[in-house]
Amino acid sequence: MTEPLLEVRNLVQEFHTNAGVVQAVSGVSFDVRPGETLGIVGETGSGKSTLARSVLQAPRPTSGEVIFRGTDLTTLRGTRLLQARRHLQMVFQDPFGSLDPKWTVRDLVEEPLIAYKTGRKNERRQRVDDLLELVGLDPASHGRRRPRELSGGQAQRVAIARAIALNPALIVCDEAVSSLDVLIQAQVLNLFERLRAELGLSYLFIAHDLALVKQVSDRVAVMYLGRLCEAGPGESVYREPLHPYTRALLDSVPSTDKHSTDKHSTATKRAPTTISGEPPSPVHPPSGCRFRTRCPRAQEVCAAEQPPMRELATGHTVACHFPLVEPAGPAAAGGPGSRAAAGGPGSRAAAGGPGSRAAARTTVRSDEKIEGTPR
Amino acid sequence: MAASLPDLLVTAETARTRPPRARATAGWARALRLWVPAGFLILLAAACFLWPQIYPVPKPVGGSVLNAGLPPLSPGHIFGTDPVGNDVFSRILYGGQVSFEVGFAVTAIGLLVGGLLGMTAGYWGGAADAVISRVLDVLIAFPALVLALAIAEGLGPSEIHVIWALCVFSIPATGRIARSATLALREQTFMLAARLSGTRGPRILLRHVLPNVVPQLMTFALLGFGVVIILEGALSYLGLGIPLPEASWGSMIAQGQQALTASPDLVLIPSAFLFATVMSLNLVGDALRERWGVR
Amino acid sequence: MSEPLLEVQDLKVTFPERGRQVRAVDGVSYCVYPGQTLAVVGESGSGKTVSCRAVMGLLPLAAVVTGSASFAGTQLIGLTDDQMRAHRGADVAMVFQDPTRSLNPTMRIGSQIAEAVRAHQRVSKTQARQRAVALLRLVRMPLPERRCSEYPHQLSGGMRQRVMIAIALACRPKLLIADEATTALDVTTQAQIMELLLELQTELGMALMLISHDLGLAASYADEVIVMYAGRIVEQAPAARLFSRVRMPYTQALLEAIPQLERPAHSPLPVIGGRPPDLSALPAGCSFAPRCRHAAEDCRATEPPLAEHEPGHRWACWHPVNGEHHD
Repeated sequence: MTEPLLEVRNLVQEFHTNAGVVQAVSGVSFDVRPGETLGIVGETGSGKSTLARSVLQAPRPTSGEVIFRGTDLTTLRGTRLLQARRHLQMVFQDPFGSLDPKWTVRDLVEEPLIAYKTGRKNERRQRVDDLLELVGLDPASHGRRRPRELSGGQAQRVAIARAIALNPALIVCDEAVSSLDVLIQAQVLNLFERLRAELGLSYLFIAHDLALVKQVSDRVAVMYLGRLCEAGPGESVYREPLHPYTRALLDSVPSTDKHSTDKHSTATKRAPTTISGEPPSPVHPPSGCRFRTRCPRAQEVCAAEQPPMRELATGHTVACHFPLVEPAGPAAAGGPGSRAAAGGPGSRAAAGGPGSRAAARTTVRSDEKIEGTPR
Repeated sequence: MAASLPDLLVTAETARTRPPRARATAGWARALRLWVPAGFLILLAAACFLWPQIYPVPKPVGGSVLNAGLPPLSPGHIFGTDPVGNDVFSRILYGGQVSFEVGFAVTAIGLLVGGLLGMTAGYWGGAADAVISRVLDVLIAFPALVLALAIAEGLGPSEIHVIWALCVFSIPATGRIARSATLALREQTFMLAARLSGTRGPRILLRHVLPNVVPQLMTFALLGFGVVIILEGALSYLGLGIPLPEASWGSMIAQGQQALTASPDLVLIPSAFLFATVMSLNLVGDALRERWGVR
Repeated sequence: MSEPLLEVQDLKVTFPERGRQVRAVDGVSYCVYPGQTLAVVGESGSGKTVSCRAVMGLLPLAAVVTGSASFAGTQLIGLTDDQMRAHRGADVAMVFQDPTRSLNPTMRIGSQIAEAVRAHQRVSKTQARQRAVALLRLVRMPLPERRCSEYPHQLSGGMRQRVMIAIALACRPKLLIADEATTALDVTTQAQIMELLLELQTELGMALMLISHDLGLAASYADEVIVMYAGRIVEQAPAARLFSRVRMPYTQALLEAIPQLERPAHSPLPVIGGRPPDLSALPAGCSFAPRCRHAAEDCRATEPPLAEHEPGHRWACWHPVNGEHHD
């Protein structure tokens, strides 16, 4: 297996506020391999944006390791951090907020080149023009404009051009298309795909829109209140979600496909949602599994013990004491409480995974991290 | 670019206010609101500094008692003379020089020193902020007048001493504005983006913080200019500023006070100039604030 | 079909801006029937929000509104603010996108709801407080008495939106307009709020207008959908029909551009280039023609009228597509 480009181990980020200690990220681990896109899905308060910024050391995480191209960024300071971070860039949600309103488009895209002292002035200018063309902007007409003279889509393209200026290996997209209109969003997404193909980029794509994340990602991780619930290949997570929260998210997504419009004919227009209540406060997260206060399958053990991340299908891991064993509505959620049920997917021949509960535990490979180890 | 519609919408509350005055959107009215007071200031400053060079005016000091107490519009003395015999018009011009010099010096020093300290404190935070903020707090706690009194008593009244005394006020005042503007700016995403692009602290301060903080600082500085002129006038009025017989609008008012019933114009004329100058500075400050969108 | 509750005819809204006229809404006509859920979808600048605010009288006075909006026989356009206030809340109520900005941060929740109640009904303060608690219970707020004495910042986004709905329902309006009311909410909270709105609709016999850019929301919750572009209605049909037999190329482009769960990863999204037209300089002919794959000469020359080409399905296009939308 190729070396992962980015390895995050047990990342913890806490903020001290007047209300208490906000446990924004509590032990998250994942890999991003070269050339792949890892999508992270989560709602407000899940900690996904904090996760993105912690990976970039802005601010430095409270604990954990962020190993990028073999170097742990958390141990670096100053110039050494700058050098190591050169190939790790970010595109933000608000296209206008991430561009200095007083700077011109050219200056904005040139900034990283100047900071890392790449080339002479005319070489840099040429590179800026090339970058602008690469993202679909005309250097002659857009180069001298200021952000307020651009549309949302154009501003985001400038941000992307800036992000790829130094030929990064990995780009973190923090809700990068969420504030764009549908058609512009599609254009920018296509741009991301094109750059991925042409420049061999990897992405860490963070968003709250599940369909969006699935569209761009090879693998998807679902985050809730600072921890990962589930991670795996996109198709696998969406077709056979193992975590009740993932199931609830999928059920809540309004969709234009035929299946949902057929629901019109029934008296209730939507399948009843399988999630209730309000998200708990990140200052006092629930003990054990953080989702238990809203989970229809929660039992005592969920409060007592934090569920470890286990692999139940090929490359598909879940942190749940009672994972879902088949895609279903409430009826098929079946009886929680039995570990045997949890071992069920392990016996699915199609998944080609472990054949029994015992095997499900022991097939955790030695080089795989156990995420969310009880602390 | 077409206007974005959401900007034009309002909530129920603001929909009930009076219709926006037509002149708010008329470009020429906006330009007038800036250039009329600005033009006045420029003309006044030019007059104060250049007129005596071009046209001969009577000296502002050393007038003969024989000419004392002439009313305005007397031949050769368009604003009349003061009780000591000096030509009021020329004293207005020279007094204006003082006002502009002091105002400019104090404001400029405040911007440079206070601005730099404030931006540094706001951007770096931590120990630098703690130290600088305490220093600024101490400075601003000094009542300007008491300090000026002390300086005047100790070192003797003069224009330079007035400038020093007023800088003790303008540096922390500007510093606070710069600091809070920088703090607000620091949270903006583009600052993080600049750091991630590899730009280092000093360059960020110079190329990102400064251009974005300048609008607030400039509008504050213009308003401060007016305040400084008034303070200088007050100090001179109290005898702590520009010493007599040199001209200052403040001391002219003090002098004229004694002859208020006989020749009220001795108070009214310098007061009018003081008022007009400060008013114009305020108007220019407001117009720039409107133009630059400073809240 | 019964009498329409709200009948909008040829509504036009223009804003003067720096010497030009921005035609935000350019001749919009539709009906809302009692108990119906109508969704108005469009991107930013389509005029969907402006047209509804025009009906509610919530536009700045600089806006020029012409046309007719008749609510149960009463003409709403042209009413003074005082006259309009009698209708707002009692007949038509609106819930906005950002509850944080619509709620007074310094007033307790109970007081704000009570204020809305007393704006339309002569009741004592105690009675208003009781109504406030009852309203919170109506919107399924847990622990309503306690909430009444809390401040907005102590509530989550979803709960604040419930408070906004409670305020809007204070006087049992016959029509509730939800202007991007769930856009700022998480998808799970959005599902809860939408469920609530539908239940309330049945309980109170209310009509519901959903304004959104989210086509999925419209598909899932609306009976009838209107699609707007550049200030005009370009397509209107019952929800099930619109999304399975889309006709207008713009609607089709929107549907194709939305990421779908069923699509494989990394598949390129079919996009159309260009941007919405400048509303102060609309092109002659169809406003979508510059970006349309199927545009022909007649599209650029003459504006296609909105007409009911098939029963229940209106569109404004010279060359509609025969869009079977499936994935």
